[in-house]
Amino acid sequence: MSRYLRTWEFALAVLLVVEILVLGAINPTFYDPENLLYATLDFMHILFAALPLTLVIITAGIDISGVSVMGLASITLGLAWVAGINVFLAAGIALLVGALAGLFNGLLVAKTDVNPLVITLGTLFMFGGLAQGMPALLDFLGFKAYGSAGLAAYQYEGITGLPEAFIALTEGTLGIVPVPLLLVLAFALVLGVLLHRTRFGRYLYLIGDNPEAARYSGVPIVRALIYAYVLSALGAALAGVMLTSYMTSARADLGGDALLPIITAVVLGGADILGGSGTILGTLLAGAMLGYLRQGLLALGVTNDLIQVVVGAILIAAMATKQLAHAWGERRLKRRALAKRERR
Amino acid sequence: MRRWLSSREALVTGLLVLLILITGLINPNVLKFRSLVEVVNASLSLLLITLGEMFVILTRGIDVSVGSTAGLAAVVLGLSLNLGWPLSLAILAALATGLVAGALNAVGITLLRVPPIIMTLGTLGIYRGLMRILTGGSWIENLPQNIKALHLWHFLGVPFFVWGTLLVLALTAYLTWRARPARYFYAVGDNPEGAYFLGLPVRPTQFAAYTLAGLFAALAAVVFTSQIGFVSMNAAEGYELKAIAANVVGGVSLTGGVGTPLGAAVGALFMTAVHSMLIFLGVPGIWDNALAGVILLLVVYLDYHVRRTLEYRRRQARIQGEAAWEAEGGPS
Repeated sequence: MSRYLRTWEFALAVLLVVEILVLGAINPTFYDPENLLYATLDFMHILFAALPLTLVIITAGIDISGVSVMGLASITLGLAWVAGINVFLAAGIALLVGALAGLFNGLLVAKTDVNPLVITLGTLFMFGGLAQGMPALLDFLGFKAYGSAGLAAYQYEGITGLPEAFIALTEGTLGIVPVPLLLVLAFALVLGVLLHRTRFGRYLYLIGDNPEAARYSGVPIVRALIYAYVLSALGAALAGVMLTSYMTSARADLGGDALLPIITAVVLGGADILGGSGTILGTLLAGAMLGYLRQGLLALGVTNDLIQVVVGAILIAAMATKQLAHAWGERRLKRRALAKRERR
Repeated sequence: MRRWLSSREALVTGLLVLLILITGLINPNVLKFRSLVEVVNASLSLLLITLGEMFVILTRGIDVSVGSTAGLAAVVLGLSLNLGWPLSLAILAALATGLVAGALNAVGITLLRVPPIIMTLGTLGIYRGLMRILTGGSWIENLPQNIKALHLWHFLGVPFFVWGTLLVLALTAYLTWRARPARYFYAVGDNPEGAYFLGLPVRPTQFAAYTLAGLFAALAAVVFTSQIGFVSMNAAEGYELKAIAANVVGGVSLTGGVGTPLGAAVGALFMTAVHSMLIFLGVPGIWDNALAGVILLLVVYLDYHVRRTLEYRRRQARIQGEAAWEAEGGPS
C-alpha cells in the first residue's frame, strides 16, 4: 500500500484534490459537480494530445507537430464536409489524415538518426502551412473550399454551419458526464493498457532507457517508434475533431497555443524528457490539474497572460524540485555507502 | 580547399545562390543590388537570434524562449522610449532585459538542473505573458522618430543595421575560431564529461551560452523595432523555431559541438530568402511555413544520406584494407 502512496501519481492526485478544494473555497460555484465535469470540455484537447505524446516522450523522443495536426485535422474535416461528404465520414477522413501525418513523422524518426525535435519542428511548419494553404489551393484549383460566406469570411471565422448532429457530439452527456470526457477516459484506458500491459509498451520503455540494449535484444525499434508517433498524431487529430465540434467551426489555426500546456502536462505527469519513464495516469492527472487551475484562475478574474506565466513557473518549479530531490537522494545514497564502508 | 567545398556552409550558400538565380530568371528585379540588400535587411533579426541560439546548440542545449525574450526586450525598448528616455539608455535597457532573461534560463538549467527544453518552454510562456502584462495587451505605437531613424542610416547604399550585423557576425566568427574561451562551447557540447575531466568550466560555459542567446535576442529586438516602427504583442513569435531551423539548415548540429557562426548566418539568410523569393514570384504568403518545413526536412534528410554514404564507404575501405593486410601475411 505504501508503495502506491509514495508514487508521483499519488502526489498528483493529492495536489489535484487540494487544488479543487482551494479554488472552491475561494469561489464556491466551483464545487458544483456538474460545473467540474463540464469544465473538462475546455481542456479535453490538451488531454487528447498529451496522453499519446507520453508514449513518444517515453522513447526519448518528442513530437511538437501535434498542434499543427490539430489544425490540419480540423480543416480537413471542414473541407471534406463542404465537398459534400457526410460530416462523420469527414471526421473519419480527418483522423486518417492525422494518422498519416504521424506515419510521416514516425518513418523519418525511426529510419534516420535525425533528432526528433528537428523532424517534428519541420513537420510543425509543414502540416501547419498545409492546413493554412489548403483552402486557398482548392479555391485556386476551382473547387469550392469554404462556406457560403466566401473566402474573406472563411479567413475570419473558419468553416461554419456544420450539422447539428456533429455539434451535439460535444454537447451530449451520459447521466451528468459529458461525452468528450468519457472519450478521453476511454482513450486513456486504451493507451494505459497498451503502455503498461503489453509487450509493445515494454519496448517503448526499453527504447527510451537504453536504445543499444533494445537493438541488441531484437526489439522491433522501427515499428514500435512508428506506432508511437502515429498514436501521438492520432490523438492530436482527435483533439482537432473534438475541438471543431466544440467551437462549431473548422479552422486551420485551431489549438495553436496548446503546445506549452500539452508538453507541460506530460512532463508534470512524471515522464522524463530524456526517456524511459512516464505513465498515462500521471499525464491524465497532471493535465486535469493544469486544466482546472486555468479554469479556476479564469473564474477568479486572472487574465490569460498571467495564467501563462503561472503555468510556465509551475512547469519549471516542478522540474527543478524533481531534479534537486533526485540529486539530493543520490548524494545521500553515496554518503550512506561511504559510512558503511568506513564502519567496516 | 576540397574540405571547404564539401562543407554545409558551401552547400547552403550554393543553394541560396541557385534559389536567387532561378527566381531571377522569372523576375529579373531580384538581381538588382537594391533588392538583394533588401533581402539581407529583412533577414537581420532572424540572423541575430540564430547566432545567439547557435551558442546554446553548440553546448548540446536548446533554447525555445528566444522569440519571447526578443518580444519582451522590444516591449521594454518601446515602453522606455515612450517614457521619454534617451535612445541609448532605452537600447541599453532592452539589452539588459535580454541579458537577464537569458541568465534566468541559465540559472534554471545549470544550477537547478532543469532540462533545457523544459526550462525554456516554461520561460517561453513566462516572457510572452510578462510582455502582455507590461503593456496591458495593447500594441506599443507612436514610438519617437529617433528609433525609426536608426534603420534609415545608410553607408555605401547599405543600411547601417546590415553593417552592424556583419560586424557582429565577423566578431563572433573570429572569436569562435581563435579565442580559447569561445572554443569551450565546442568542447562542452562535443563531450561534456570529457570537458569536465579536462578541467574546463562546463557549467559557466553553458551559463554563458544561454545568456548570450538572450543578449542576441535583445539585439534582434532593437533591429526589428526600428524597422517596423511599433511593437505588436506577437512580435518575434515563432522566431525560436525558425532560429533552430536556420541553425540546423546552416549545419549547426543539435547533438552539440558542430557548427560555425557563418553557417548559422547563411542558414538564417536562406530561411528568409525563401520567403522573399516567394514574394518576388507572387506566391501567396500563406505557403511560407509549409515551404520552410519542407526545406528543413529536405536539408536534414540529404545530410543524413550523405553522412550514411560516407560512413559506408569508410567501412568498405577499412574492410578492404584489412583484407589486403591479411593477404600479406597478417599479424607477424
